[in-house]
Amino acid sequence: MSSSKNLNARERARLASEQAAARKRDQRILISVVVAFVVLVVAGGILFQGWRSSRSPSAAPPAASSAAPVTITNGKPIPLGSADAPVTITLYEDFHCPHCADFEEEFGPTITQAQESGAARVELYPMSFIDEGSITAANAMACAAEAGFGQAYYLGLFANHTLQWSDPQLIELATKVGGSPSAAFKTCVTRRAHADWVTSMNAAADQNGVQQTPTMLINGKNVEIESLTPDALKTMISNAGQK
Amino acid sequence: MSAPVVAGPRLAGIAPWISTGARLVLGAVFLIAGALKVVDAQSSVTAVRAYRLLPTSLATIVGWGLPFAEIALGLLLLGGIATRVVAAASAILLVVFIAAVASAAARGLSIDCGCFGGGGDVAPGQTAYSIEILRDIGLLLLAAWLVWQPRSRFTLDRFSSAGDQTRESA
Repeated sequence: MSSSKNLNARERARLASEQAAARKRDQRILISVVVAFVVLVVAGGILFQGWRSSRSPSAAPPAASSAAPVTITNGKPIPLGSADAPVTITLYEDFHCPHCADFEEEFGPTITQAQESGAARVELYPMSFIDEGSITAANAMACAAEAGFGQAYYLGLFANHTLQWSDPQLIELATKVGGSPSAAFKTCVTRRAHADWVTSMNAAADQNGVQQTPTMLINGKNVEIESLTPDALKTMISNAGQK
Repeated sequence: MSAPVVAGPRLAGIAPWISTGARLVLGAVFLIAGALKVVDAQSSVTAVRAYRLLPTSLATIVGWGLPFAEIALGLLLLGGIATRVVAAASAILLVVFIAAVASAAARGLSIDCGCFGGGGDVAPGQTAYSIEILRDIGLLLLAAWLVWQPRSRFTLDRFSSAGDQTRESA
C-alpha cells in the first residue's frame, strides 16, 4: 500500500516538473516570438519610410502660368506674381517644416488665386533650419525662379514635402512641373549655386524678427495664422488692396 | 506552496480587472500615438531632431522607427500577449520619453514633445513640459502595475500554456 502511494507521489512530482519545464520552454518561445515581432515591425517600418522619402515626386497641383525669370539677390526674397499687384504677401517658410506644409495645404489655394488674379504678389523667404533637405530645396527654389518656373516649383515642393529632396528628386520635380529642365537648372541644383543666398535668407529672417515658420505678413503687417481661415485671408487680401 | 504575491483576497479579486483597464488604456495610447506619427514621417523626424540629442542620421532612423515600435507594443498590449514583458518594454520606453522631455526643459529648449504627432520647435512660452511629463508618468504607473500584476481578462495569452505561466508567475 505505502509503496504504491510513494510511487504515485513520485510520479506526480515528475509530471509536475515536466509540465513546469514545458511551460518554461513555451514561455521562452513566446517571448522570442514577441521580440521578433517588434523587431520586424520596426525594421520594416524604417525601410518603408526610407522608401517613402526617396521615391519620385508626384505631379504638383496645376500651377500658375510661368512667370518672368527672377534675379536672385542675397538678402532679397523671391518675388512670385505680378510686380504691380497692390498687395504684397510676405511668406517665411521652410520646405521641410510640417506646419508650413499644413499652412500651404490650407491657405495655398487662396494665395495662388490672389496671385493669378493680379490682386497680390508673394515675396518668399525660404528658410532652412530643419535639415539638409530644407537647404537643397531652398537652393532649387531659387534655381527654378531664376529659370522662370518658380511658382509651379513652389507648389510642387510643398505638394511633395515628405520627400528628402536629393538632387535627382529636385531635378525630377522640375520635369513634373515645368517641362524638361535646362542644363543650367540642373547645374544650379547640383552645385548649390545659391548656397550664399540660402544662408542670407536665414539671416534676413533673423534680422526681420521672424521667430517661427510659417510667418505671413500682408503689406508688411504680421498676420496671426493660428485662428485664420481661408475666407478671412481672402477678405484681408481684398481689404489690403483697397487701401 | 508559497502565498500569492497579491496583498489579500480582495485585491486578488479586482487586480485582473485593474490590469485589464491598464492594458487597454496603455495599448490604445501607444497605438494611437504611433499611428498619428507614422502617417507623417517628415514630422516625426523633425520632432526627434528638435530634442537635439541625436546626430542627424540617427534622428532620422529613430523618427522613422519609433512610431512603429509604439504600434507594435500597442497591439501586443491590446491583445494581452506576453503582458509582463511587453509592459516592461513599455515602461523603459516611457522612462526614455520622460528623460528626453525633462532634458529639453532643463536645456531651455522650446519644443513640442511630438508625443502624438506634430512636434518640433515652438515659440517660447508655448511649451507644455509639465503636462507632457505628468501624462507620461501616469502611463508609466500603468506599465509598472502591469509588470507587477500581468494577469488580466480578455487576453490572447490564455490560449497558450506559456501565457498561463506568465500569469501564474504573477
